[in-house]
Amino acid sequence: MKDISSAIQLIPLENYVFLSVALFSIGMMGVLFRRNTIAILMCLELMFNSVNLLLTAFSAYHSDPAGQVFVFFIMIVAAAEVAVGLSIIVMMKRNVDSVDINLLNRLKW
Amino acid sequence: MVALISSIAWLVPAFPLLGFLITGLAKNRLKNNQAGIIASTLVSFSFITALFLFFSLRSSGQDSVTVTLFNWISAGDLNIPFAFLIDHLSITMMLIVTGVGALIHIYSIGYMHDDERVSSFFAQMNLFTFSMLLLVMGANYLILFIGWEGVGFCSYLLIGFWFKNPAFNYAARKAFVMNRIGDLGFILGIILVFFTFKSVSFTEIFSQAGALQAGAPMITLITILLLVGAVGKSAQIPLYTWLPDAMAGPTPVSALIHAATMVTAGIYMIARSSILYNLAPITLNIMIGLGLATAIFAAVIGLRQNDIKKVLAYSTVSQLGYMFLALGLGAYSSAVFHLTTHAFFKALLFLGAGSIIHAMGGEQDIRKMGGLRKKMPITYLTFLAATLAISGIPPFSGFFSKDLILTKAFENNPLLYILALGGALITCFYMFRLLYLVFFGSQRLSSAHPHESPRVMTIPLIILSVLSVFGGFLNIPELFGGKSDLGEFLHSAITSKVTEELSSSTEIGLIISSLALLGLIILMAYRTYVKRAVLPAADSESLSLFGKVVANKFYIDEVYTLLLEKPFGFLSDFFFNTIEKAVLDPAVDGIGTATSRLGNLVRKLQAGNMSFYLFAMVGGILLFIIFILIV
Amino acid sequence: MILLIILLLPIVTGLFLLLLKNPATARIIALCSSIANLLITLGLISTVPSPSYSVNWNHFMGTQFSLGFDGISLIMLLLTNLLFPFIILSGFTRAHIKIPVLNFLILFTQSALIGVFLAQNAFLFYIFWELTLIPVYFILLLWGGENRKAITLKFFIYTLSGSLFLLFGIIYLFTLTPGMHTTDFSAFNQLHIPAATQTWLFWVLFVAFAIKMPVFPFHTWQPSTYTMASKQGVMILAGVLTKMGIYGALRFLFPIVPQGVLYWQNTVITLCLIGVIYASVIAFRQTNIKRLIAFSSMAHISLMAAAMFILNYYSIQGLLFQVISHGVTIVALFYVVHLIQERTGTLELPQMGGLKHVAPNLAILLLIIVLGSIALPLTAGFVGEFLIIAGLAKFSIWFAFLGGTTMILGAIYMLYAYQRIMLGDNNPTLIRVKDIRTLDFFILIPLITLILILGIYPQPIFNLVEESVKTMQNLLPVNEVVTLLTR
Repeated sequence: MKDISSAIQLIPLENYVFLSVALFSIGMMGVLFRRNTIAILMCLELMFNSVNLLLTAFSAYHSDPAGQVFVFFIMIVAAAEVAVGLSIIVMMKRNVDSVDINLLNRLKW
Repeated sequence: MVALISSIAWLVPAFPLLGFLITGLAKNRLKNNQAGIIASTLVSFSFITALFLFFSLRSSGQDSVTVTLFNWISAGDLNIPFAFLIDHLSITMMLIVTGVGALIHIYSIGYMHDDERVSSFFAQMNLFTFSMLLLVMGANYLILFIGWEGVGFCSYLLIGFWFKNPAFNYAARKAFVMNRIGDLGFILGIILVFFTFKSVSFTEIFSQAGALQAGAPMITLITILLLVGAVGKSAQIPLYTWLPDAMAGPTPVSALIHAATMVTAGIYMIARSSILYNLAPITLNIMIGLGLATAIFAAVIGLRQNDIKKVLAYSTVSQLGYMFLALGLGAYSSAVFHLTTHAFFKALLFLGAGSIIHAMGGEQDIRKMGGLRKKMPITYLTFLAATLAISGIPPFSGFFSKDLILTKAFENNPLLYILALGGALITCFYMFRLLYLVFFGSQRLSSAHPHESPRVMTIPLIILSVLSVFGGFLNIPELFGGKSDLGEFLHSAITSKVTEELSSSTEIGLIISSLALLGLIILMAYRTYVKRAVLPAADSESLSLFGKVVANKFYIDEVYTLLLEKPFGFLSDFFFNTIEKAVLDPAVDGIGTATSRLGNLVRKLQAGNMSFYLFAMVGGILLFIIFILIV
Repeated sequence: MILLIILLLPIVTGLFLLLLKNPATARIIALCSSIANLLITLGLISTVPSPSYSVNWNHFMGTQFSLGFDGISLIMLLLTNLLFPFIILSGFTRAHIKIPVLNFLILFTQSALIGVFLAQNAFLFYIFWELTLIPVYFILLLWGGENRKAITLKFFIYTLSGSLFLLFGIIYLFTLTPGMHTTDFSAFNQLHIPAATQTWLFWVLFVAFAIKMPVFPFHTWQPSTYTMASKQGVMILAGVLTKMGIYGALRFLFPIVPQGVLYWQNTVITLCLIGVIYASVIAFRQTNIKRLIAFSSMAHISLMAAAMFILNYYSIQGLLFQVISHGVTIVALFYVVHLIQERTGTLELPQMGGLKHVAPNLAILLLIIVLGSIALPLTAGFVGEFLIIAGLAKFSIWFAFLGGTTMILGAIYMLYAYQRIMLGDNNPTLIRVKDIRTLDFFILIPLITLILILGIYPQPIFNLVEESVKTMQNLLPVNEVVTLLTR
């Protein structure tokens, strides 16, 4: 554990922040501008992971393992969420024969 | 004696109340004349009790006795006992109300015996008598006000007694509403009296009033407000138009309510408040003006009326004007004296008119009558007595009372005397016009078969005519060797203004000149209506402009309709259709509509487009971040 | 404990009624329950010392479930429990459906109303205040007349939005209490709120009551709701629910924001007097009897509201007296109107007339009620109105004059309506109309007797509230702004 923390600390904190901002932005753009639902789901995962990365980095720098515990939580929740999300997409594919997000406009009801 | 008075005084109003309850509750069980007999008997009992009270009071040596029954309202320092004040003024009024009332009740047995709702009639008449007795017996303004409103309500009931006719119902409502206008002034006056004197009871107020300065604004305001009430009830300008319309009621009602008793309530109230009025010279002057104007104005209208009851109604308004004049001159006991004699002769005139109408089968137009002198001798003689009395021919009662007022007017200002005398001459003319047209000449309506009325009707006529003839002897002035008995009797209850006495030679001169003029007028009327047998023009015939205006009562009713009734209806429509429906309601509904409009607008954003949602979400977060960074 | 019984008896009985199938039994049980409540209330008057009840209820807001009463509450309680037996009795006809449910709702309303009048805690007051709305909403919605959905919704939302202000006001007052631990009236009454705050807080608290009463120009829900409401619905609304507004204003405004009252006094009184004249004038041209009476009731309530804001001894005495007298009169009036509607099948004045020929007894009873309504002496209406006008006169003779016009205007429209209904020639369409039956006698005779007795011997009511009125009248900092002419 200590080795990993020190390994992480080899790289300056700013770099982690920049990387995760970049990843988050890419993910966000993907969510906003892609129409394929699977791609959107993947972009969401990307955003999760950017946050995870940040959490890990800060946790290591602060020597506080709570952050890394959170990462595990998030990964588990994300896995569960992917399962739900993918099954929605499968249902969508079966019902409307498409995974285009713009066809999912009945949420208002 | 005082204890005796206290213990039986309540019986006087209780008898008519009992009569009201019996005839009112058992009205479907009473047959034929039973209701009338019960009602008349109870009012007569009431009269006997009042007489008894009168003698007890005289022998007790006290001026007044206050009889408290129970505490009506007692809230904070507002203390209003349900109490009666038995003093010389109220006992006089009680005797008039119950005495004349009993006679009219008896008369009504004959007059109303064909009516299907005769029990209701007597119930209402008894209720009226009860209210009127409360009015005159009340020991404070509030009890007086109970009676005051009560008689107004009974008058409403009785004017609209034949409720099938919408015009009668309208007349009843008009009477009530006009009375209520006066009553508002009256009640405000009472309230101010209470705030000024911390009491509404007569004895307490009047004992405090001496300390007040004459002409103080508060006292002027109070007296004017009380006067407004009196003007409404006693049918003075500008609230007189209900009284002629009130003739829609059965004739005994007109005699009892709209001639002898109720309409004189205003006179009684002001005479009762004489101490306050003495302190308000402005109000007294207003009363002189109102009284004189009403006396002459109504008399002029009376000249051209062709309905026998309308003539008498305007004559009542005119005579009430004289009483107001007397009140304004500060001669309160003269006003009460005229009230008394007027009660006798005007009740007699109305009952006589009822007898005539009865005989003519319901016809009220004097142009269609005539020659009744032979067919109805008793009615004729009694009517003649009353006519002579109202015209002021000595030694009939009206002479004494009217002469007293005229003399007082002369003491104040000769001009007042001339105007008042003018009114008296007009009165004399139209009364003799009425007499001649009805009883002289030949019968003009062939279909009627006039006959003398039954004895139950003629006996009250005879009694009243005796009173009309000799009523004046109650108060023979010193000029004729009398002692002004009634005036002296009332002295303890009424504080009249002291004026300079005229020398007896002036007084005799005035009387002789006025008598000469009266004789001339009677002759003139005789020449016109008996010798030349002139008939008043029919409604269709064209008259001179002035004649037309007078025949149409100066169009006052029309003016009131145009200026008051119409705008009121218009205002009501305006409030409801414009303010309520076009402003307030839409304003409230508008808030609801605006909310749902806004909802419609925002709804479009929620189209269900997922990418837009996401975009909006991210945009929102970004805005937040920017906001935080900037601030 | 006894207060808890009064509070819960109706609602418990009501819930029990829901289990019943037989409508006749349900009605009788409801009637018995309401009469029992009336008897207990009468017993309360003589109970010394006056009972109270209190338990801790909600720790977070420090709310006490505390019940108690003073003279003013007692008057309201008396009115409520007096009228409900008659309201329930008036439902003893064949016409209604779902009688157990209806009686449940009526009893529910009664409980909620009693809660309002007994609550000694502002939060509790608010809960009961809103609770009344629920059963009344259903009574109006399920048994109402034409266009009931829209009208009931408007009524509901209007009053509810008014109450929202009240809730805000209560929470604001709560934050002002030392240590934020209580919403008891006794604590609120001891707050010394800055005058500037009071001026706006006044309106926050007043709006809910102004809508309920209603005061001009917050009245627009009232005429249509009254016109549409069923017999029992309108009796509850006009007889008791409007008095809630007066009671609430007395409880909240004068003790808590006296300076606010003083600041807005003239404005509010002017609004009330405008309401008196406005409603009276409108009433004159109404063709629907219920709408006419709705406006007449608004005129009376406005006069009472004006008296309340004058807040001197006479006006408060008159107001509290008038609360009883108006409640009794208006319930009797609406009962007769419904009687006429059931007999003739119409509420429109132009289609009536000549009813006195076929129903003379009904005509007499209606006339007495009308007299009570136009304040003829020796009816209850006069005593109250006289004291109110006296109170107004003490403040300003002009206000007294304007308020007094109700005497004239009331006579104009009520007698007009009476004439249109009862008098006139025989009406061939109404020839089969029957006169009153036994049930009507049981309802109308006691009410009319009450109108007359209170008019002849009003003293018991005065004595009942004497103490509270004396406390009340000293609440305003400068109480008597006497603008009378000097002697």
